[in-house]
Amino acid sequence: MLPISNRVREEREARGLTQSQLGDIVGLTRQTIAAIEQRRYAPSLEIAFRMARLFGVPLDQLFTWEE
Amino acid sequence: MLEIFNIGSVPMSPRYKSALLSLASLAIGYGWYFASLFADYRAGVHGHQAVHLRVTILAIALVQILGRVVIAGTSSDRYGPMDEREIVFDWRATTIGYYLLLAGSLAAMATLHAGAQAADMANAALLAIIVAECARQGVFLMLHHRAG
Repeated sequence: MLPISNRVREEREARGLTQSQLGDIVGLTRQTIAAIEQRRYAPSLEIAFRMARLFGVPLDQLFTWEE
Repeated sequence: MLEIFNIGSVPMSPRYKSALLSLASLAIGYGWYFASLFADYRAGVHGHQAVHLRVTILAIALVQILGRVVIAGTSSDRYGPMDEREIVFDWRATTIGYYLLLAGSLAAMATLHAGAQAADMANAALLAIIVAECARQGVFLMLHHRAG
């Protein structure tokens, strides 16, 4: 598991989006969205910013470095 | 849906299934070809190689075309362009495949110095290509499981 936790699943579900829909919006496959939510993949900065802007939350609230 | 197509609860992408199909068809198809080639060599029989190779190429092409049609028709995900994660997987897999191909090509050329005929060197080169491609697809699949 990666040391970067995220709130992608919570923010996505709060907006009623499926993994496929979120993937289509930010340019990722459903499998990659699932991997991000399971902390098995860390997205690029560009994708992270796209998600943060989409959800309307600061980047450091969406992705957090865990010591 | 077969469980082998799933990692956790997430069905695998059409690209993953295509890579699995390529790996399986290449391994089985060319495995049969090289096994029959080896058997012919041991028996001292020559002349079947060209026919076996044509059959192998046609069978693999048929399986891959039909398999991709089935994958495209049955997958819940569309066959879109690679995303950033798949591009990284593909890049890593291609790098490994490239170095294997390089080593295999040199080994195939070296067979000439061991007294092999041109047809033997061609088969060695073909083996290098197939091994490299199988490694490329295999690494691509493995990376999906490691960072799936």
